[in-house]
Amino acid sequence: MFNKKKSLGQLPSMATATSYLSAVHQADSRARGHDISPASTPALSTSSSITSSSEDTVLHESDDNNTGLTYPRTPPTSEQVFTTVHSEFGHCADESYRCVSQHNPDKPVTEHEIEEPPYYILITTYISYLMLIVFGHLRDFFGKCFAKQYFTHLMPYDGYAPLNSDFDSFYTRRLKRRMDDCFSHPVTGVAGRTILVYDRHSEDCNYTQIYPGTKTRALNISSYNYLGFAQARGGCADAVEESIKRYGVSACGSRLEGGSNELHLTAEALVARFVGMEDSLISSMGFATNSTFIPALVGKGSLVISDEFNHASIRVGVRTSGTQVRMFKHNDMQSLESLLREVISQGQPKTHRPWKKILLIVEGLYSMEGSLVNLPHIIELKKKYKFHLFVDEAHSIGALGPLGRGVCDYFDIPPRSVDVLMGTFTKSFGAAGGYIAGPKHLIDALRIRGHSGIYAEAMPPPVLTQIISSMASIMGVTPPVSSKAALTLSPSSSISTLRCPEDDVHPGMAPASAIPSWISLPPALSDGSEARMRIRRLAFNSRYLHAGLKKLGFITYGHPFSPIVPLLIYNPGKMATFARMMRTRQTPIVVVVVAYPATPLVTSRVRFCVSAAHTKDDIDTILQACDELGDILDLKHGHSERWPLEQIMRQSVELVNNI
Amino acid sequence: MSDTPTLSSTLDPLLTFLAYSLSRLESTFYKLPGSAVVTRYVKSSHQNDPGRTILELILVIFAIRTLLQSRTRGDKQGKHFIQFSEKEIDELVDEWTPESLVQPLNDWEQRDLSSVPVTTGPIGPKPKLLSNGKPVINLASFNFAGLAGNEQIKEKAIETLRKYGLGSCGPPGFYGTVDVHLDLERNIAEFLGTEASILYSQGFSTISSVIPAFCKRGDVIVADRSVNFAIQKGIQISRSTIRWYDHNDLKSLEDVLISIEKERKKRKGPLTRRFIITEGIFERDGEMVDLPKLIELKLKYKYRLILDESVSFGAVGRTGRGLTELYNVPAKQIDMLVGSVANGLCSAGGFCAGSSIVTEHQRINGTSFVFSASMPPLLATSASEAISHLRNTPSILAALHENIDTIRSVLDRTEGITVLGHRASPIIHFCLRNTQQHLTVAPPDHEAEERVLQDIVDDGLANGVLITRGKHLRGQEMTDSRPTIRIATTAALSRKDVEKAVGIVKASIARVLAKRR
Ligand SMILES: Cc1ncc(COP(=O)(O)O)c(C=O)c1O
Repeated sequence: MFNKKKSLGQLPSMATATSYLSAVHQADSRARGHDISPASTPALSTSSSITSSSEDTVLHESDDNNTGLTYPRTPPTSEQVFTTVHSEFGHCADESYRCVSQHNPDKPVTEHEIEEPPYYILITTYISYLMLIVFGHLRDFFGKCFAKQYFTHLMPYDGYAPLNSDFDSFYTRRLKRRMDDCFSHPVTGVAGRTILVYDRHSEDCNYTQIYPGTKTRALNISSYNYLGFAQARGGCADAVEESIKRYGVSACGSRLEGGSNELHLTAEALVARFVGMEDSLISSMGFATNSTFIPALVGKGSLVISDEFNHASIRVGVRTSGTQVRMFKHNDMQSLESLLREVISQGQPKTHRPWKKILLIVEGLYSMEGSLVNLPHIIELKKKYKFHLFVDEAHSIGALGPLGRGVCDYFDIPPRSVDVLMGTFTKSFGAAGGYIAGPKHLIDALRIRGHSGIYAEAMPPPVLTQIISSMASIMGVTPPVSSKAALTLSPSSSISTLRCPEDDVHPGMAPASAIPSWISLPPALSDGSEARMRIRRLAFNSRYLHAGLKKLGFITYGHPFSPIVPLLIYNPGKMATFARMMRTRQTPIVVVVVAYPATPLVTSRVRFCVSAAHTKDDIDTILQACDELGDILDLKHGHSERWPLEQIMRQSVELVNNI
Repeated sequence: MSDTPTLSSTLDPLLTFLAYSLSRLESTFYKLPGSAVVTRYVKSSHQNDPGRTILELILVIFAIRTLLQSRTRGDKQGKHFIQFSEKEIDELVDEWTPESLVQPLNDWEQRDLSSVPVTTGPIGPKPKLLSNGKPVINLASFNFAGLAGNEQIKEKAIETLRKYGLGSCGPPGFYGTVDVHLDLERNIAEFLGTEASILYSQGFSTISSVIPAFCKRGDVIVADRSVNFAIQKGIQISRSTIRWYDHNDLKSLEDVLISIEKERKKRKGPLTRRFIITEGIFERDGEMVDLPKLIELKLKYKYRLILDESVSFGAVGRTGRGLTELYNVPAKQIDMLVGSVANGLCSAGGFCAGSSIVTEHQRINGTSFVFSASMPPLLATSASEAISHLRNTPSILAALHENIDTIRSVLDRTEGITVLGHRASPIIHFCLRNTQQHLTVAPPDHEAEERVLQDIVDDGLANGVLITRGKHLRGQEMTDSRPTIRIATTAALSRKDVEKAVGIVKASIARVLAKRR
């Protein structure tokens, strides 16, 4: 009856390769859910069905099984007061598990370092793909002969060309479908430190998924919840509730056509202050922030230089603008400089006229690689080559820097040496949408000339409130001084008049007048102490996971301080198995696996997104899981010095401080 | 003839050198392992067919060339590449002075920006203005069914907040698919009567992502000349072959379809995907497409139909199901029905409804679905609540259409303007009537007209009615349409309020036009 749960704890003791293999097979098939029937999953979830949505997820749950997910393994002492729900934001009182996210100016900036796996891994990976492709084509061939009904939607039918040709969809049908159970897993509740996933299994090789209606609480190392603001309780959620009561749910319309509300102005002024720019604008979707505002920056006669790993939204934006694009090798400053020299000296193609302007678009923190942009070097290049600089801080804002103000803060570079700072609120702020910050004249032009201003819906009030309250708590709010408030909404405020005064010190606290008076944050949030703790916890957790995985012998990518930690797996089969085995451990862990086309063909990986909400124990749990799976799946190919797991867990603080 | 000897004498050393290096090459080649096999192969194939050797040689050279080219990728190998020394490059870099990133706003743009109204407090039919604290009647923002500020929806939203928090913190593929998103997708599909639907987190980005998910290079798109900006951008990204037909003219559409069919027969090309893309009610002018006729054409010529119902969904039909309900056409006949959750259900986001093959395809190929975080759960439950509201209270839509009638009947009788669009459209556009002689001079001065319209909007606002110009990104839109003022109707206002508001608008029009004469 307990075979589902106890499974993997015993695996490392098995010695022979055959027992490993059979263990893998068993775990894998368990994870695929072939043997799941309601009777065999007794303890998974005794709670509700899908439809009952009003029940309280935290208080009425009995799915804990002493995994430490819902309640801490060691109850808090009487002096410790925790204001958060442990399943959303973990309780971790030990002050030594903290660290500062800051660049050490004495050390060179680490660029993208890539450790190579042994050849046999590469070869087996290629063989795996080859086999997948060969078998896929064979199945297509025989399928078309003998099981036509499965292929009708890929064939011309009744004078219509197929919506999706069998060639275009080959990868999806023949490769991705085999591991579809690792993607798009429906969840419920808060995407915080833990998350409730719906149990599911498939009896027809992932064509359809069957949901028995039960749920499992799993440790969540996948959501972009860097600072842990995904919370259903606490000061921010209270503020959001108040705003729904006051303003309603929707903004009803676009910014320039009647959808502008005072909350937009307040949030924009606060964002500008937060990132240290003169002005900012907000758009209701992070993706659209890039795809609809980049066309307003560049046009004919301009050139965009783009990192090869830039996000899809940037590529869509550049393509929509119709501008010429050149790419440089990921985070490679030599490649960038030689490209700059080439394009400036050659000018526009054919005519050799000089470019009107060159816009360099980079990301602060790359979402698949975990690498950090070499901003100091880029700023130097910018002085020499006079290009304009656009930094997409989607992942780095809030998550990096001693004060959470992003890469500029991390490297201690004045934000105004960058022309345009873009970022999203989906990640660190637990909200949605994105911003663009820059000089006022630029932002004003974007308001009028960007596509979003006229055509796209404005951001809804609850989202704005989450942004304002989480951002204010990261900055800390100075208590109101009775005299003249610097930033009240003056009667003449039009859509763009609100902005922080020039003499404002960055990065400072937010004056009380900068946030609406009806938002009353609890003291720990409004004095900024809790957010400082979050930033320092995130920094510790990121480094600890990075360093721990390295010491266990894994190959990881990315900057040691980045909250995105990619662990390289290479073989596609191992990747799916890894995800399944993590999900079915005694303490279930949900992970994100990414493969081609999101990454180069061979470098399939697991991507961990560390959060401030995780405790040291959680990271230990993950390290332990990786350690066990790494042995089973033969993933430890790193060249650095190795430590046993116990030593890593014991000396974590030392490990983190010595990076 | 005379200089032949000299030539041969100068060539002599060169020839010997060539012969020498050839023999060296040959000997090294034979030292290579496997070279014997190659020679044997070349020799035997040469014996059988000398032409083939040349062909193969050309092939090899070609392969090497493409390999080399793809390595360097850029212009370096191109014939336009100029070789510079490092010093010259340094000088060129020093000399280069780029333009500033953006051109400053001109006066008109400045005025446009500063005249954007900002509301304070609750968003709904009668918001207060931030500038003077006065309440105004809102005929500008999209609140067709009057769901903004609905207490039940607010309650539902708060309930969701307390269970899910605000953000979903992840794209749908990576644990961002929350059960409430699936519920809303199911609710929308059931409401419309399609098999499935898929939810995007912004209305504007929906269709500009749906189109490139299906339409690829080589496919054919036939689209209305006046489609909205989002569709234009989608078409641009898709890189398909595009043919336009005259605005809302199905005769013209049929002509285009016939001519494409003819061309295809002539070329005997392979069967490609073909799409008709248009809007249900046009965002630009409130015209409505004749859906039954459109479907007839699409079925006859075997096109797939992508219909943008961003304006009509939630506003037209007995319970707001849109054009399909109005014309009593099964929604299944529309291959991809795109609508706005933001406009129609007073929440945020957009959807595409259709068969499950259509929606599942987008879950992997819809760029803004795959690469963006899913919408906050509380916005999804608000929308679900809005749907059940629409289902259960058909009187909402009846009230909306009464208000539309009231406004149209007053505007129709107003001097100096022409009211555009279909009677049932919840957005009403009007433009200045071209009676004055000096305005008929071609080309029409759109900017001057816009100034007049903005004066009307400002005057209306000063007297307590919020309306807006129908704004466009001039110069970026495909076609330059007539400047208009747009009135967005709502069911939330009483008949009395609507009458008062439209009376004010009428007076403003009269005042501004009188000043102009
Ligand atoms: C670099 C970058 N830009 C933009 C986005 C889009 O943001 P959103 O998910 O808020 O639409 C992402 C999200 O993954 C991103 O990584």
